[in-house]
Amino acid sequence: MDHSLFSKPRDIFLDIVNPRDYVQIDSVSQMYQNLKTSVQKPLKMILLYGKPGTGKSMLLHKLHHDLSKHQKVFMIDIPIIDEGDFLRVLAQKIYSYVNREAITLTNFLELASAVNFTQAPIVLLDEAQLYSTALMEKIRLISDARALKFVITLHKTDDEDIIAKEHFQTRIWESIELKNASADELKVYIQKKLLKANCFDVANMFNDKNIRLISKLTKGNYREANKLMFSLFTLYTWYEENHPSKIKYNALNTKYIEMAALHTGLLHA
Amino acid sequence: MLDVASLERQWLKYKIKQLLPYLFALLGSIALIVTFISFSDTNTSSSPPLKERVPTTLKKEPETTFKDETMDLEPSMQFIQSITPNVSENPPTTSIPVVVEKKTPPPHDPIASPTPVVKVPQPLKIPLSTPTAIHSNDTTTRTSIKRDSNTFDIHEIEDRFRNNSNPHLGLYIAHYHYDNGNYNEAYNYALKTNAINNTLEESWLIFAKSLVKLGKADQAKKTLQLYISQSNSEEAKNLLNTLNKEGGK
Repeated sequence: MDHSLFSKPRDIFLDIVNPRDYVQIDSVSQMYQNLKTSVQKPLKMILLYGKPGTGKSMLLHKLHHDLSKHQKVFMIDIPIIDEGDFLRVLAQKIYSYVNREAITLTNFLELASAVNFTQAPIVLLDEAQLYSTALMEKIRLISDARALKFVITLHKTDDEDIIAKEHFQTRIWESIELKNASADELKVYIQKKLLKANCFDVANMFNDKNIRLISKLTKGNYREANKLMFSLFTLYTWYEENHPSKIKYNALNTKYIEMAALHTGLLHA
Repeated sequence: MLDVASLERQWLKYKIKQLLPYLFALLGSIALIVTFISFSDTNTSSSPPLKERVPTTLKKEPETTFKDETMDLEPSMQFIQSITPNVSENPPTTSIPVVVEKKTPPPHDPIASPTPVVKVPQPLKIPLSTPTAIHSNDTTTRTSIKRDSNTFDIHEIEDRFRNNSNPHLGLYIAHYHYDNGNYNEAYNYALKTNAINNTLEESWLIFAKSLVKLGKADQAKKTLQLYISQSNSEEAKNLLNTLNKEGGK
């Protein structure tokens, strides 16, 4: 049993997408409400896009977690690249159609028309930039046939703006961009996570200077912040075990934050 | 598990790397400030010499003049020249001729040396060589004094004496010639001076002593006796006594 004060905070920052760990932040909450409203509209496709680590996957998981209580929702978080497999998996998960052989688009649309849902089933596709253009075209056809409603997430990279691709530009009816957190949002994010896990003492150690440094190092990226916090609390755990006198409990040590940043690659010696 | 020791080393390296630009900037700033200060100091310290150098070059001639003048001013011709108008206006005093006499120590003179005339005016020698008196003169005059000999000076004074008939100048000239062994000239100038102003004791004494040097001791004694009868001068009496004693020997 680990009795360190910092072991629990360390574990809650493990980079795992879990909808239960979703933290309400003003801007993200607003986006999430918009997303939920959009999903209820007769839209065919909804796009969530943003740079890596802005919380797209978390939002998608949260949406899946919330919507699955009321309607048919299926989430594909690991892209299925093969077209046949993609349609077969969808038929199995949505329509409970089990077939070991690959299904064609025509077969899938016939199957969809045969099954009647009060609300169109929702398919959540994470990392959609990994799908081929041909498969995306089939997804568009399924969406146009109103057989399924798709919510997809995309990385918005500087090198290639995938949103600009034709098949997204012409099909998507609503798009939501996720951005990196501000310093205040990051503070709320970190402290809420800690408070949620009852780590009050550790949450109180974060002062504005610490937060500014963390925000500067991570550029407001939630994934980087998680990694940094994990390394930081790992360090604190080590110091608590080996050199407890070096720990000051009233504030985080800038040195340790920088050491954690060096460890995670946010800083380079 | 984290390698904390390695991380600490990395952190130290990172901090040094992070602080280096600031350190360089600080050192650079200090260097700039020091350079600027030293440069400005150099400017301020070098500019005066430049300023001074130009005037020095320009004033090269006057400066030399001044130096030479201080040496050549021993006869104090300029001083006499400068005070000439005052002398002519003011009541005659014995100070100026006496001072001049002290300027140029007379050659060994058995007659003159025992007289108190030589000793009395000595303190007045200082004002004649003071810079204020020298500066009051114009540059041209100074230049002439610097370059020329005493002969020239005495000629100049003689010219001035001829122009303004100042008895003090006449007395000075008489002294000068007497000191230089020109007893005829001394006699003549003393005579002229007495003719202009017969109350100048010094002039009468020079006149008498010149007569003695010219071998006319009797005439000198008569002159002194005449002067004593009119002025009751102690100096004249002393000189007369001396002449009488030497005549007796």
